[in-house]
Amino acid sequence: MASPSPSADRHEYGSYDELLEDYFDRGWTDGLPVVPPTPEKVAAFLSAAGLEGAEVLGEVPTREVVVTAEHAAINAVMAGCRPEYMPTVVAAVRAHLHEKGNCHSTTGTLSGAAQAVIINGPVRQELDVACGAGCFGPGFRANATIGRALRLVVRNVCRAIPGVLDRASFSTPLRYQFCFGEDEECNDWTPMHVERGLSPGDSAVTVASVMNLLSATDFTSRDPEGICDAILGVIRSRFIASDRWLGDGTNLVLVIGPEHRRFFDRASWSKNDIRSYMWPRLHEDGKNVTGLGRPEGLLIVAAGGDGMGDSWLLFPHLAWAITEKIEPV
Amino acid sequence: MSQRWIGLDPSSGPLERRDDRELRPRPTSLDGHVIGLVANGLGRGEELLDQVYERIARDAGVSGAVRVLKPGVSVPPEPADWARLTSEATVAITGFGG
Repeated sequence: MASPSPSADRHEYGSYDELLEDYFDRGWTDGLPVVPPTPEKVAAFLSAAGLEGAEVLGEVPTREVVVTAEHAAINAVMAGCRPEYMPTVVAAVRAHLHEKGNCHSTTGTLSGAAQAVIINGPVRQELDVACGAGCFGPGFRANATIGRALRLVVRNVCRAIPGVLDRASFSTPLRYQFCFGEDEECNDWTPMHVERGLSPGDSAVTVASVMNLLSATDFTSRDPEGICDAILGVIRSRFIASDRWLGDGTNLVLVIGPEHRRFFDRASWSKNDIRSYMWPRLHEDGKNVTGLGRPEGLLIVAAGGDGMGDSWLLFPHLAWAITEKIEPV
Repeated sequence: MSQRWIGLDPSSGPLERRDDRELRPRPTSLDGHVIGLVANGLGRGEELLDQVYERIARDAGVSGAVRVLKPGVSVPPEPADWARLTSEATVAITGFGG
């Protein structure tokens, strides 16, 4: 049963413009206009997720911050979400606040890491999440506002404000939002959330930190090995951040585009076949040269549109990629 | 009649400290102090802290160091290390973020 009356402090204004200017002045936006989080809208969002406002979604102990469903609802309204997006926003917030999601580090770092929200399962069709052409970019309400909602929670609730607890030297435009879905229908690959233990009928979000987003462009290879070698060249050009606390649980997300996928499909290569080819080639003289702890740490996602011969690599900051089931209401 | 807008506070409260805990005053001298060196595990942080300690030790009559390596940047020292720090060190230096 949802809380009928949100408990957050209320501010009264004579106009939308007045509200908006005050929200800008208080530092409650990402620099873009927001939708007014009225008590009625926030209550509707909580109801859509079947949550009480006081439900705790996670904590950032080093900042003495507790994030509630009401916090998520207020910021989801502001981001421009529809009420039916709320269960997905809640799952994204929970995933990000998983201990090994490492909110404190990934949102405070000098490197300006972002969070990628990757959506799997039937919810993609229900919410019209873009998985194909242009899915990393603007133009898709679900992608744009779900990703933005998480970032507004990070800013407003987790206190990652530039110059305060966000110490990024440059930051990144990915911090406005970065959300897309896996194109599960394009071939017979096992969807990422199923590889990570959920059922095909489940919906899920995976939140991965992103310190660098790099493309592996290859127009000339005509077989899986050639495509993998092009991707391996990019992986070897970087180091995957880890430390003792994260152990071997770090991840690298590979987003394989359709012009590359076709060669894997023709040769009937599965995601595991790609891992089996790549894993030994991430070693030299028996030594792991990338910082990736395990073959399963390679998270392979199908997405993107026709035309460009590239795939994309999401290099992590100090965090695991966390997959969270979207709980049906 | 003009429309009134009610907006909810989206934050977790003001950024100022929310309790009355205070830092102890900075020591005016390091003479006689045992220096805790708390490395967070990033890069060459331990080397950096050792260099800082050597510089301090040249200029002040310090009484030794307690070296601690945290498991990760976002977590506190492990309990045994935390106990060593609080029982043996009289001041502590940490740093080297990323």
